[in-house]
Amino acid sequence: MGTATRAGIQAPRTGGASASAQSDARGGWRRRRHALAPYWFLLPYFLVFAVFWCWPIIDSALLSLQNTRVNPWAWNLGINWRRLWVDRAFHAALGNTLIIMAIQVPVMLTLATALAVALNSPLLKLRPIYRFAFFAPVVVSDAAYSVVFRVLFNGQFGAVNHAFTALGLPTIDWLQDPNAMLSTVMVAMTWRWTGYNAIILLAGLQSIPRDLYEAAAIDGATPADRFFRITLPLLKPILVFCLVLSVIGTTQLFTEPWLITDRGGPGGGAETLGTYLYKQGFVSMNFGYAAAIAYTIAGMAAVLAALNLMLTRGKQA
Amino acid sequence: MSALGRIAGILSGMAGAAVLTLTAPAMAQSDLKGEITVWSWNVAATALKAVVPDFNKAYPNVKVTVEDLGNQPVYDRGLAGCSAGGINMPDVYSVENHESSVFWARFPDCFLDLKSLDPKEADLLAKFPQFKLTELTVGDKIYAMPWDSGPAVVFYRRDMFEAAGVDPAKIATWDDFIAAGKAVQAKAGPDVKFVSNNTDSISTTWFRILANQAGCAYFDEAGENVTVNQPGCVQALETVKKISDAGLFLNAGWDGSLQAIKANRLAASVYGAWYEGSIRGNAPELSGKWGVFQLPAFAAGGNRAANIGGSSLAIPSSSKNRQAALAFINFALGRPDSQITQLKASGLVPTLPEAIHDPYIQQPQPYWGGQKIWEVVLNTLSQIKPARGTQYFAEADSIADGILVAYMKGNGKSAKETLDEAAEQISAATGLPVAD
Repeated sequence: MGTATRAGIQAPRTGGASASAQSDARGGWRRRRHALAPYWFLLPYFLVFAVFWCWPIIDSALLSLQNTRVNPWAWNLGINWRRLWVDRAFHAALGNTLIIMAIQVPVMLTLATALAVALNSPLLKLRPIYRFAFFAPVVVSDAAYSVVFRVLFNGQFGAVNHAFTALGLPTIDWLQDPNAMLSTVMVAMTWRWTGYNAIILLAGLQSIPRDLYEAAAIDGATPADRFFRITLPLLKPILVFCLVLSVIGTTQLFTEPWLITDRGGPGGGAETLGTYLYKQGFVSMNFGYAAAIAYTIAGMAAVLAALNLMLTRGKQA
Repeated sequence: MSALGRIAGILSGMAGAAVLTLTAPAMAQSDLKGEITVWSWNVAATALKAVVPDFNKAYPNVKVTVEDLGNQPVYDRGLAGCSAGGINMPDVYSVENHESSVFWARFPDCFLDLKSLDPKEADLLAKFPQFKLTELTVGDKIYAMPWDSGPAVVFYRRDMFEAAGVDPAKIATWDDFIAAGKAVQAKAGPDVKFVSNNTDSISTTWFRILANQAGCAYFDEAGENVTVNQPGCVQALETVKKISDAGLFLNAGWDGSLQAIKANRLAASVYGAWYEGSIRGNAPELSGKWGVFQLPAFAAGGNRAANIGGSSLAIPSSSKNRQAALAFINFALGRPDSQITQLKASGLVPTLPEAIHDPYIQQPQPYWGGQKIWEVVLNTLSQIKPARGTQYFAEADSIADGILVAYMKGNGKSAKETLDEAAEQISAATGLPVAD
């Protein structure tokens, strides 16, 4: 969307500039025609945007103001929004989402940074193979990998508990215990997305000029100094980019809790905003309330993204 | 424009033709032609598949495809199809009775009134017991035909009980059941658990069985009040907690429980009688080692009957072969022979009264150690207390699930406090008042 709008603004300006050399009457017509050209190219996109984005956005706002559990639906401005305040299941789902955001995202980004630095080391042989290996989980479809995790973490017959028993550790009911469920989901997400973030961070690392490190080494900076005073500050914009992507991804989290812990698990132990929204909309057939939840998620994602961006704007390296 | 106009003309012509075919009077049996798709799940799908060969003898030109989608996907895809205006639906749709109200209430045009398809249909439907029809009826429309019911019983391993010196005939109360469970587990070792908690995505199965046994449910029979904090439900929840606290539960869902049964790691199972076909089909090598007894009562001499599950078949309005679909439903559910075929194949308990009196019911079953299990099961049928799922069932169940899991884990609250909280939340979610 961002690029499309930018192209839409810039294109007419250049069109106008080239047309200004033309003679008056014909030139005016041609200028207008040129000025319109980009919009014609954009038209197919805007049509799709109007039907599949604008309309649903407006329609779901209207839905959230209706009681959709009567036939026919009736206007009732507060019914769904009021429920958000008193619905403890919604609060639990929100809590789970925030817990994942507070634990899984930082852990994953730390791992990804460490991995990126390791992959960037000149000492490392066969680098492309490692890069591919760590990026590979993203290539697997999320449904397929979720099912594999579900089998691995099965409480009675899963490989993970077998390994625990072999090591003399007590087994954990990964898919039914409320706390364990959330950890299972976080482990799975970390497996899948760490490599992806590491590759993005690696690209950032490679854009840091080598001579900075050389100069620092000559000045007697230790490797730790070099990491914290050169690598991290220069990597910050990329890290923030990864952070924003991960945080928005977490607010919309659906596949992993739905498939690994069986629809958010018994008792909603791994219920997230995404699974709760789906259940309200398509299991309980409560479209109005689901729309209110969807708007809450979108609002949350926007606020969190804005906060993250403000973090960087203050001290630009 | 003219090209568009022509296409529109052709389309409307086709639509007209379609209307003509649909409104044509019901054809003679064997003349019925076409293909129908049936959506169902595991044992239920197996049962319907078992009926198809006989059906094709009577209707050779109707091709029936039974698709086993799994229980929850059938519900999910049905709701999605109906909310999209009735697209991508099969010709015959399986629905669990307690979950069915949401379809009739929110999408009154998604399924056909069976009576509207054939003038003789009303007579056939009238043969079914009223408690099965209540949830399928709205006004004068009947949206589905009752299929099976789910009297809950205890399935148990004869050899494991015997080894522990436990006599199932002496298990009269849930306290006896817990004592028996401890004895069996002590004898069988740490790998064996007494019963599965039957928990897939929702943990409420046990609670719902025992609540129904105690005559309590999320809502009252009229579906107008929240009743989940009534004494019967409190008693049910306390009992489930006692079983859990005694360490008798295997935490496992549908697949996990069947695996445990096959691996000799489960000594008993409490479920609807439809589980019979799953145990038998899953572990044929355990033939002769399994038996059945009625649910223990809350107090000696009390009610030992409860229902869990039980389904019906409906015809979506989008079906292009309505008469063939109706013929299949009538054949599979409206004839005692077919119902017995399904009982043999999957253990689906008939609701058609004529089928209940079939001689097969009285026969000893070899898999079950020669026990006349269907007699045990059907003897409870008359004591089952009717309950209504209502259109809010899924929502209430999901709320109760969250609150019950916290209680079972031990959050220090009493069963009454827990269910008061559930009642308040269900009331807030549905707008229905909590009953006094």
